[in-house]
Amino acid sequence: MAKEDRIPEVDIVVDHKAGVIREVHPPHKLRSRKGHERRVNASIYVVLTIISIIWLAPFVFLVLQSFRSYITENGGMVSYLIPKQFSLDNYRFLFQPESQYLRWYTNTLIIALVCAVIQTIMVLSVSYVLSRMRFRGRRFIMNMILVLGMFPGFLTMIALYFLLKQLGLTQQGAIPGLILIYVASSGMGYYISKGFFDTIPKSLDESARIDGATRFYVFKRIIMPLSKPIVIYTILMGFMGPWGDYVFASYVAFGKSESYNVAVGLFRWMNTRDLQGYFTRFCAGGVLVAIPITILFFILQRYYVEGVTGGAVKG
Amino acid sequence: MAHKFARFFISLPGRLVRGLLTLVSWIGAFFKKIGSEIADIVQTFVHGDWKTRVSYVVMGFGSFARGQYLRGILFFLFQLVFNLYILFFGGSYLAKLGTLGTVQTTTKNRVTTYGDNSFLILLYGILTIFFIIAFIYTWRVNIKQNKISEQILKSGKKLQSAKDDLGAMADSQFHKTLLALPMLGIFMFTVLPIIFMVLVAFTNYDYSHQPPGKLFTWVGLSNFKTMLSVGGANFGSTFSQVLLWTLIWAFFATFLNYFLGMMVAIMINKRGIKLKKMWRTILVMTIAIPQFVSLLYVSKMFAADGLINTYLLKWGWIDKALPFWTDGTWARITIIVINIWIGIPYLMLIATGILMNIPADLYESARIDGANAMQTYAKITLPYMLFVTGPYLLTSFIGNINNFNVIFLLSGGGPLSMELAGNAGYTDLLITWLYKMTVNDTNYKLAAVIGIIVFIITAVINLTVYNLIPSVRNEEDFQ
Amino acid sequence: MRKFLSIMLTLALVLSLGMSVASAEGYSGDVKIWVADNMVELTKAKAEEFKAAHPEYKDMNVLVEAVGEGDSASNMITDVEGGADIYGFAQDQLARLVAAGALVELSDENAAIVKEENDGGSVAAVTLGEKLYAYPMTSDNGYFMYYDKSVITDPSTLEGVLKQAEEAGKKVYFEINSGWYQTAFFFGTGAFVTYDVDDEGNLVKCNINYASPEGLDAIKGMIALAKSPAFVNGSSASNASDYAAIVDGTWDAQPVKDALGDNYAAAKLPTFTVGEKTYQLSGFGGFKMLGVKPQVDEAKLAACDALALFLTSYDVQAARFEQFGWGPSNLKAQQLDAVKEDIALSALAAQLNFSIGQGQYPNDYWSTATGLGDDIIAGKLDDMTDEQLMERLTAFQDILISLVK
Repeated sequence: MAKEDRIPEVDIVVDHKAGVIREVHPPHKLRSRKGHERRVNASIYVVLTIISIIWLAPFVFLVLQSFRSYITENGGMVSYLIPKQFSLDNYRFLFQPESQYLRWYTNTLIIALVCAVIQTIMVLSVSYVLSRMRFRGRRFIMNMILVLGMFPGFLTMIALYFLLKQLGLTQQGAIPGLILIYVASSGMGYYISKGFFDTIPKSLDESARIDGATRFYVFKRIIMPLSKPIVIYTILMGFMGPWGDYVFASYVAFGKSESYNVAVGLFRWMNTRDLQGYFTRFCAGGVLVAIPITILFFILQRYYVEGVTGGAVKG
Repeated sequence: MAHKFARFFISLPGRLVRGLLTLVSWIGAFFKKIGSEIADIVQTFVHGDWKTRVSYVVMGFGSFARGQYLRGILFFLFQLVFNLYILFFGGSYLAKLGTLGTVQTTTKNRVTTYGDNSFLILLYGILTIFFIIAFIYTWRVNIKQNKISEQILKSGKKLQSAKDDLGAMADSQFHKTLLALPMLGIFMFTVLPIIFMVLVAFTNYDYSHQPPGKLFTWVGLSNFKTMLSVGGANFGSTFSQVLLWTLIWAFFATFLNYFLGMMVAIMINKRGIKLKKMWRTILVMTIAIPQFVSLLYVSKMFAADGLINTYLLKWGWIDKALPFWTDGTWARITIIVINIWIGIPYLMLIATGILMNIPADLYESARIDGANAMQTYAKITLPYMLFVTGPYLLTSFIGNINNFNVIFLLSGGGPLSMELAGNAGYTDLLITWLYKMTVNDTNYKLAAVIGIIVFIITAVINLTVYNLIPSVRNEEDFQ
Repeated sequence: MRKFLSIMLTLALVLSLGMSVASAEGYSGDVKIWVADNMVELTKAKAEEFKAAHPEYKDMNVLVEAVGEGDSASNMITDVEGGADIYGFAQDQLARLVAAGALVELSDENAAIVKEENDGGSVAAVTLGEKLYAYPMTSDNGYFMYYDKSVITDPSTLEGVLKQAEEAGKKVYFEINSGWYQTAFFFGTGAFVTYDVDDEGNLVKCNINYASPEGLDAIKGMIALAKSPAFVNGSSASNASDYAAIVDGTWDAQPVKDALGDNYAAAKLPTFTVGEKTYQLSGFGGFKMLGVKPQVDEAKLAACDALALFLTSYDVQAARFEQFGWGPSNLKAQQLDAVKEDIALSALAAQLNFSIGQGQYPNDYWSTATGLGDDIIAGKLDDMTDEQLMERLTAFQDILISLVK
């Protein structure tokens, strides 16, 4: 890039300060700058287009294959991409009771909804306390959570399985069991929302406290209304998490197909020897999982970005 | 940065010594504290009234007798539950903890009678120990409260009523209210299982010692010796292979994605580029779609008979399928590349957010000084990004060490080789190897050893980085 | 004497079955069964028939769940209590399941019936030491070659098959990174590996001669196969595409039929040539079986015994063949015309003349074999001299021997 192009490449900055920045451009260099700029932009467009194709390709393929009928064509892997005939057979199959797909979908939806609520309460409680209150044992709790987080997750899988079994929460009880496991330790993921609470000025609480408000009142009436982005982010995370869990969910269901979540059910369609030819049905099932999550995600994308960015900056 | 590293490692011995000294002084302080507690317990008994003294045996009696009914009942109930637990449940497990059970399973006329269950003995044994610690603590609080109550009454003031207690839960004790449930959850479903599994590393728990049919027992350090032994295609050399690949993987997965993601963000955010929202949206789709769908699909795409090979063959670009998953090195590279596909969108989002926050006057002054684009990037954008995202890079590195999904769904750890032992493959991370040992081989003892080792590695990396990057250390820095 | 005894016992059982209404105490609790996904409906229906035929079990609650043979074995080992009472598995898991305390041996009466009604190979497969630990369900757990008639005109030599597939731009699937399919080469040249197992499921000895001229020819055969551009490592017909030939088993007959249509054909495995010598590909012949887990309740044990016996009887094996093409182990069912005429089963029968009954193998045998196979596929052995290959084989052999503790 040439010398002239020294101002920030970040257009948002420019949006804020546009006027100021443009005024200081040396006028005699503007023309060569523009030609150069055009070339740079053109190459960027090329790169972005290639990237977009690569990023979209698997999803386009997935959708295409989901329209290949397992009855009239072939439900397994084939060497061509576009089905000879577009059909909804795979989707019809999903809605038949014997496929159990709706059952798994409902299970996952229930888990996701309950998790979203309880997990949010847990995470906000922990992060609020650790951010706003100072008490004996606070540092200890934070260090403890840090240390616990260094153990790999699957280490305790077998122990958790038997713990749940003692409580009767495996097989038939796998759904509440999974919820319990997802929710129980969710307080450990307090970092992002604590980072958010840290940015709310403490003077707000203090003035309220001087006026005689209790801690609970401050939490409910002052902090919460200011925390909409982080609440939505936490709910979104709690909701999206359970959809992808295969490993632990299959362990806890322990062969009871009524207790599968979509991930376990679909994973078996893909990987079980007795279920060959389910590939296109897997694709269709995957598409139906992806659609609502993608829509939800795009609606709430702003909050997600805020959370991720905040999380990255504050650790 | 480099000299910082050097300085850190030069000072390492000194730090270690200091760390040890701190530890010793903590232990000293701990025993001192215990001593003073015991002294206080004795003092309270000697000087206390009869209500206090009864409370030594019947918890909550003093509180109840002085009119603090709620507290009294809670204390008493806790003691009751504890006694019943030890008597009818925990006690027997605790007693067998030393041997993990001795009664063998027997069969008579093909009908089975199960003996001791080592698994439950270990699990409930630990739980019982924790319950005892909690009981001692509560008992101590109970005594302390008696002492305080006596003092308050002596000075002529009134004790807190139940209503006051409840009020405090929403105010001065609000942190306890909020933390009670999350902490209980963390304790039951994280702390307890972790301690359990750490102890399993010192037993011979595997498929041929599988409760309830068989017993397992303590074996000391022999599992660690198996894992760390050297020479040949055994666990020792396999372990170092897997560890090395885990670190290489974590490095690429973190930094390659970081720089590429930042580049994409800079491109999209460049002034004059249109349809910003559309580019971002296309990338972000990979986040929204569950990984088990997208990764499983992508994994099949790269198979020997998958879409990519099929089309390359069809077009005549190659005459034999590319060994994406069958050759160790290919598989490793394929995984790193596919992971870019997953990682860039996150980094793009993060970088966008941070780039927005870089103060414009920094660029302004750079421009006046005559810096070109590369210089601005190297002198302003990059250092700022690195500084601000230091903590993120750390968590992301650790996260990638434990990045189960990508490996499991893409290659399943394969390909295997005779040069590797214990069912490990060339793309296995420690965490996926641990998973295989747990699920495929039911070799829990070695899985536990790997888990402990992963913990140690993570802890070392964390401590190192904490000492190097101030922005990670200081909680308040970015507030 | 023993034969006489078993006949007497059979007689006694037949008599007691006849009078079962009067004598048996019955059972009315839950019995959980794990079978492969496509077997669930059939098993449910047959369990109902069983209840209808045995009034003392009419209130028994039979739960049938879909857990494939591979998963069921590892689940049973993980948690015997939580696992099924009756479950299907492949024979290679038998010793492991016994060692983990997940199988109870058959009663003498049932053992006598099983020996009487099933083929010798399947009976040997459920036997450890002197005891029978499971009920044979199929005799078809072996592999052979499906091929496309329009592409492969002569399926008798591997070289010919590969050449014709290459010319047609089609693929040949052979899962040589599996310890199961790999033995086609090793056993074909006369190399062998077996393990001796005691009646508690513990390995006591490994018999192996892989590090030998025979083993060397076998590994060279695999290397040559893997070098062909037509070769794909795999054995799952419906996840395979564009194949001229696939080494697979009877369970995949339907997907292959669907894919090849009129060109569907099956044959014994071809021969392969190394240097001057030509060998017939061999391999494992195996069995699937139903097992009963140890029970604490005598009445329930009796119920499980009876149900497992019924679910592996002539009637159910014949139904399993009719609906899904699973080759029966029951001698009477093997004599059915449909069984004799089935293309896939005929090919299997032809191949079984060259196959070796599969014994017990430790879990690590499979992963070690996969390691060897993956190395071959990755081309690591392509340029090795005979000495280097022999080193590999020796290392392989040493690992397999070391698995006996």
